[in-house]
Formats: sequence, structure tokens, C-alpha cells
Amino acid sequence: MFGFLVKRLLLLLPVFLAVSVVIFLIVHLVPGDPVDHLIQIGSTPEQKAALIAKIGLDKPLLVQYGAWFMKVVTGDFGDAIVLRRPVADLIAENLPHSLWLGGLAFVFSTIVGVATGALAAVYKDSWIDRGVMILILLGSTVPSFWLGLLLILVFAVHLGWFPVSGARNWTALVLPVMTIGLQGVALVSRVTRAAMLDIARKDFVLLLHAKGVSRREIQLRHVLRHALLPVVTILSLRVGWIVGGAVTIEFVFARPGLGSLLITALNQRDYPVVQGCLLMLAMAVMLGTLLGDMVQAAMDPRIRENMQ
Amino acid sequence: MKNTVRSCGILLLAVAGVGTMSGLSPVWAQDATFVLNSRENGAPSYNPIKSTKVNLGIKLIFDRLVDQDADQSFHGLLATSWESTADGMSWTFKLRPGVKFHDGEPFNAKVIEWWIPKFKGTENAFMADAIDRVVVVDDLTVRFVMKNPDPSLLLNLASSFMGIPSPKAYDALGDKFGVTGAVGSGPFRMESFTIGQQTKLVRNDDYKWASALSKNRGAAKIGRLTLREIGEDSTAFLELKTGGVDMLMGVSSDFQPRIREEKSLKLVVLPGTEVFYMPINTSVAPFTDIKVREAVALAVNQKEIMSGLFGNTGAVANNFLISSLPESKIDPKFNISYNPDLARKLLDEAGWVPAAGGVRAKAGVPLTVKLWTQNGTQFKRVTEVIQAQLKTVGVNAIITIQDPASINAMYRKGIDHQLAVRSYDYTNADILDWFFSGKRLGYPNVSMWNDPKAEILNEKAMKGSRTWEERVTNFKAYHEYVQSQWVYAPIYQPTQAFAFNQTRLSVPDTVRGTRMTVQSIMDVEVK
Repeated sequence: MFGFLVKRLLLLLPVFLAVSVVIFLIVHLVPGDPVDHLIQIGSTPEQKAALIAKIGLDKPLLVQYGAWFMKVVTGDFGDAIVLRRPVADLIAENLPHSLWLGGLAFVFSTIVGVATGALAAVYKDSWIDRGVMILILLGSTVPSFWLGLLLILVFAVHLGWFPVSGARNWTALVLPVMTIGLQGVALVSRVTRAAMLDIARKDFVLLLHAKGVSRREIQLRHVLRHALLPVVTILSLRVGWIVGGAVTIEFVFARPGLGSLLITALNQRDYPVVQGCLLMLAMAVMLGTLLGDMVQAAMDPRIRENMQ
Repeated sequence: MKNTVRSCGILLLAVAGVGTMSGLSPVWAQDATFVLNSRENGAPSYNPIKSTKVNLGIKLIFDRLVDQDADQSFHGLLATSWESTADGMSWTFKLRPGVKFHDGEPFNAKVIEWWIPKFKGTENAFMADAIDRVVVVDDLTVRFVMKNPDPSLLLNLASSFMGIPSPKAYDALGDKFGVTGAVGSGPFRMESFTIGQQTKLVRNDDYKWASALSKNRGAAKIGRLTLREIGEDSTAFLELKTGGVDMLMGVSSDFQPRIREEKSLKLVVLPGTEVFYMPINTSVAPFTDIKVREAVALAVNQKEIMSGLFGNTGAVANNFLISSLPESKIDPKFNISYNPDLARKLLDEAGWVPAAGGVRAKAGVPLTVKLWTQNGTQFKRVTEVIQAQLKTVGVNAIITIQDPASINAMYRKGIDHQLAVRSYDYTNADILDWFFSGKRLGYPNVSMWNDPKAEILNEKAMKGSRTWEERVTNFKAYHEYVQSQWVYAPIYQPTQAFAFNQTRLSVPDTVRGTRMTVQSIMDVEVK
């Protein structure tokens, strides 16, 4: 297991390098530059050129990339050009907000997704099952941006239960958590339902029925337990999205976080900040995927055997 | 017992967690929350000397020497009076006594002597560029010795970028000034600033030097003011509707009817400071031909756009400047108005004749042009209507939409664009220099216009005026020449609107200043 972990960590290094190149190129090849946000509109081209040189944006892209990457590997994300602060400080201020939001959404989607999926499987073809299927369909297809506004209208405007936006207290987390979480609920619920129905057809389940074990006990103790392996696989793959999934939702709900920071920086083409945020999101996905693999290995002896 | 201890622990943790998340902030009776105009979102700093993008907060934290009213008149703030010599080469300012910065430091002539040179080498250097040096006459009198006459000096001094910081705090904080702390002498002190999210301000209880534009000359009536940045218009509107915020500093035309429907809300519409216009790239065919330029400009039906898209609010634009500026009162014969028949005639004369599909052609080449704009509902709608209007005179316009940063970079290339729908928000005639000077081709001179006569008129308007009256005359002449060359088409002057919850706030009936800002906020009361 330890050898597997080391091997996977080493494999992440070339992935990290490739991701950093892609991020750097995407950010720099998009038209526009941060200098537009530092100079007054009436500045002359000479003034702009002088500022570009001062920041170092006139150097070849490869040189700029090299300088940035060498800093990043030492843990220094550089200084924001427009926002005029160390990128690490900006990320450190915003990341906890995204982790709170994404983490709670993850927990919400896991609990509600497993529960609804299990109910749908146990009561297959009933109105409960159909209700869950509609939930799955909506959760999978409705854009999160629109869903967020819909939830605001219902729960904040008409019912007045929660604030519309912001991060003033814990109640402001409920609607964004639901918005992000409902998409996860759809996925988890669908996988749970399918896995439970699959397990329910296995011979050992028929044997349990033949032995007179109660239906409830069979479903909860045997079918659901065995069905959890694919669910955990899906969940582990979503761990990386705890941070990344909140980008548009933070904007709709005007919440602080990595997504809001990314949008602010992107609008101003603040390269170091955009690069830092994207790299954090990519690292979250990479480490989340690794964590998922480790969890699967811990749960399934067959995977452990394959590793060995 | 063990379980009880564990339960108590969990309960305590939960309470601590909720407490931490809610910030346990004290409730203040005079709290108010305003949502900034989305144009101001993302301002990176409250450093008036170095920032190029600022928001409303900067005028609340920093005082300026003078204030400007909506009628373009100037009123003393930290200066009580001023006078200039007849040749415009010297200005003397009497300073207000008893003013202190938020850190307790005194405001006096020495501060001005320190402050003006700080602009040198910054992006805002042009604000004080005409000032050669500052002479301290006495503790409360300074003289600006000018390099050249600058009739817009008072206008500059009233600008947000000329808020005066505390020298001690400015030097101590260095590059962090405006980010981790901002110390001025304004009616509010900065408590905290989270970039892209919010700024928390606290009343300066010692304040007693507001300008005559405010009825309340003493401390502000709002105790704590939070300025929030909400990028999504729908979210901002719903926050106002549900009482989550007390005022929206900007309301797009889409939400104005909905605010009018709400009894608890009040919408206030002010004369606008924005102009929508369509620059025409004069350096690429077919717009190298002035007749084609004139034709597309005359094909724009300003009234239809105003009534169809903006519910007849605001005003049509017939020239480049907002109506409140005296430089906009040019000879009427230079104003540009919708005239489709003349547009068709001009296109005929230019050799673009009607052809198949309703699109004109010349030597078999159809009159198809690129029409660019930036993303945003208003820009998209205006551009689509203009596309349809151009079609009626036989011009086929293909629309491209980009985000602002990308499209500005694309304009800089100078050769890829032909027509564009843009807007500016500014209250000075020198916007003509910015957008039509041959020194700024591509961007912001999207028209790519470089005309020797225009450059002479520009130079005269910008630097050859000794008095305000002379400046107005010179800018009128420049403006008229710009109009005569059909380098753009004027479209529309939107109103500016703000909205507030009238069950929470009491706002003065007359808004002073060029927009809803510090002068009127001083008089806003929390009910």
C-alpha cells in the first residue's frame, strides 16, 4: 500500500508539470493583459510599454513560465499584478470559504444521495422511485447558475428563511450548499440506486430471502453495504471538486472564495492570481483522485491485490 | 457520564463553530449596507494616488480639496477658497483649519507640499502633471506654480484620484496603503477591505468639514457602512427586495420597472454620465470612404433604441459628450441624427448599390462589415438593434461579442475591427482627446482616426487654454471637427439610477454632486 502511494505521488509530478504548462499558456494566450487595469485609459502606448517592461511581461513566454514555475515549486505563487498582494495571501484568505462550502455540499450530497438512492431501490417502481428519478433528472440537467437563482427566489425571497447572498453567518451557507449539493445528490442517488438493484439480483441475496431474513435487514445490512463500493468510488472522485465546484455558485451568491477570486482576477487578467487559483483547483482534483484511489484500495481487497 | 461529557463537548464545539462563522459581530442601530455599482467591482486598492480603478469608498475615506456639483460648479472641501492669476500660471488655495486625519495627524499646507509630488511616475501623474511645484505660503495657504495653464485643475482636484491621504500612514504602509489600511480625513474610516467582496467603514465621529453640497456638515448619520460587491444583478436586486441590503448604487434598466413595483423600494433616476456610441474604424475599407462612414452613422436610429430598449428613459445622443457639459452645446448642424434616406443616397454615391438579398455590393463584393461589442445584456441588445438598422440601408453587419479585456486587446491591433458598440462614463470634455487622439490609435482611439487638423485642435483644447471659458470654446471647435468627419455614430445617453429601501433609509430629495456619492450619503439617515 505504501509503495502504491509513493508510486502514485511520483506519477503526479509529470501531471503537475503538464498542468502548470497548460494553465500558464491558456492564461497568457487569451487576449488582454493586466496592464490595461493598471494604466489610465488616456495613457500613451509608450507609458504602457514601460509598465509592461517593468512587470516583465515583455520577456519571452518560456522565460516568464520558467521564472513563475521555479517560484511555485518553492511555494511562492508570486505577487498579484493588479490586486497588488502576494497571491498566497489572497488564496489563503479565500480557500477556507471554498472548503467550507464545498465540504458541506459534499456531505449533503453524500447523505441525501445515498438515502434517496437507497429508498428508490427498495421501493423500485413506486412513487418514491419515480420522485427520486425526477430529482436525479433535474439535478443532472438544471444549470447550477439557474438553480441557485431559483433557490434564492423560493427560500430567500418567498419564504424568507435564508439570506439571498453573502457570508454574514452560517445561514448564508444553506442555499449555496444546496445548489452545489443537489447536483451531487443526483449523481450519488443514481449510482446508489443502480448498485443496490444490481446487488439485489445476486444469489446470496436470494439465499438470504430463502433463509427468512427480513427484507429491511437484507436491504440495509447486506444490499446497501455491498452497493457502497461504487458509491465510494464516485464520491472519492468528487473530493477534488469540493473546491472547484463552487466557482459559479460563489459568484451567484456573492460569496468570498477561490471562485470569486478567480473571476475577479480573470476579469482583470491578473496572471499570477489566475495561475495560482487554477493551479490550486487542479491540485485539489489531482489529490482528490489520489485519495479516491486510496479509499478504494482500502475497501476492496481485489484492488489491493492488483497493486501488489 | 462519558456520553454526557462527549455531548456537551460536541454542543460547545457546535456553538463555537456557529459563533465563528457568524463572526459574532455586534449589531449597530445605524448600520447600512450599500451594493456598489457593478462597474466599480474588483477595485484592488484604496490608494487614491496609485489606483486606476476605485469605488465609492474612496470618496468616503478621503477628502479632496474641492467638490464638484452636478452643474459642474466647484465647492470648497479641504480648501475654503482659491484664486488663480490671469495667465493661469499660479493658483493659491486657502486650506480649512482644524482638519485631522483618522490617525490624528493634522492637515495643513505641508501635507499638500508632500502630496502633489507623490503623483510623479504613477499612472495618475496626469492629474497633477501641470503643477510644477507647490509653495507653502503659510500653515494654511499653498500656491501651485504651474508648468502650463490647466483650466481643468479644479476638475482634477475634485476627482476620486485626488483624495488626500495621511502622509504618516501613507509612508508607513508603503505598497500596502489602500489594501491593509487606508487613512484619510473623510467622513468614514476603513475598518476592513476584502478585495472583490466588501469594504467595512466606520463613521469618523470627529468629522465636521463636509462641503456645502451636504446639508449635514458634521459627522455622518450612518454609523457603520458596508459596501458590498455583487456581480450578479439579479442577486443584488433580490437582496434589496428582501432587506438584505439597503441601497443599490447602480440599477440596470432591466430592473427599474421591478423596483418601481415594490412599495418599500424607491428608485431615483439622475441625469446620466454615460454615452453609448459606435466607433467606425476609419483606417480600413469601406470606412476609409467618408461617405460610407456618414451613411452608417445616419442609419442608426437613436430614438428607436431609446424607446425600444430603454423604455424612453435617458436621452438620445447626437454628439459625443453628455448633455450637461457645455462643450456638448455645439452648432446643431454638426449633430448626428437618424436619416436613412440620406444614408442610402450616400451609399449609392459611394458605389455601393442595392444587390441580391438586400445587401449592397460594389464590384460584386457585398457590403458586409464586422460589428463588435463586449459582453453584457445592454451591449448585446443595442448591437443587435443596430445590426437590424444597418440592414435596412443595405449593410450586412456580423456581430462578435467578447469580454472587455479581450476586446480591448483586439482593438489595439487596429485592423481587425470595423464597427463597434461601446460606451464611456465620464464627465469631462477631454474624453475627446482620449478617444480620438492620434496618440492612442487602436485603443482607446478605436476609430483609428489620425487627422492632422484634429491633432492641432486637440492640442489647442488640451494645452492651449488659459481659462475655463477658453477651454470650452476650444473643445467645442475640436468636438465639431470630430463630428464633421463621421468617425463614430452617437447612440444613447442612459440615465443613472440608484434604489434604496425607504423603510430603512431616509435619503435627501435632491442628490448633490455628479452622482449619488459622499455629498448625499452625508445626509442619508438610517430610520
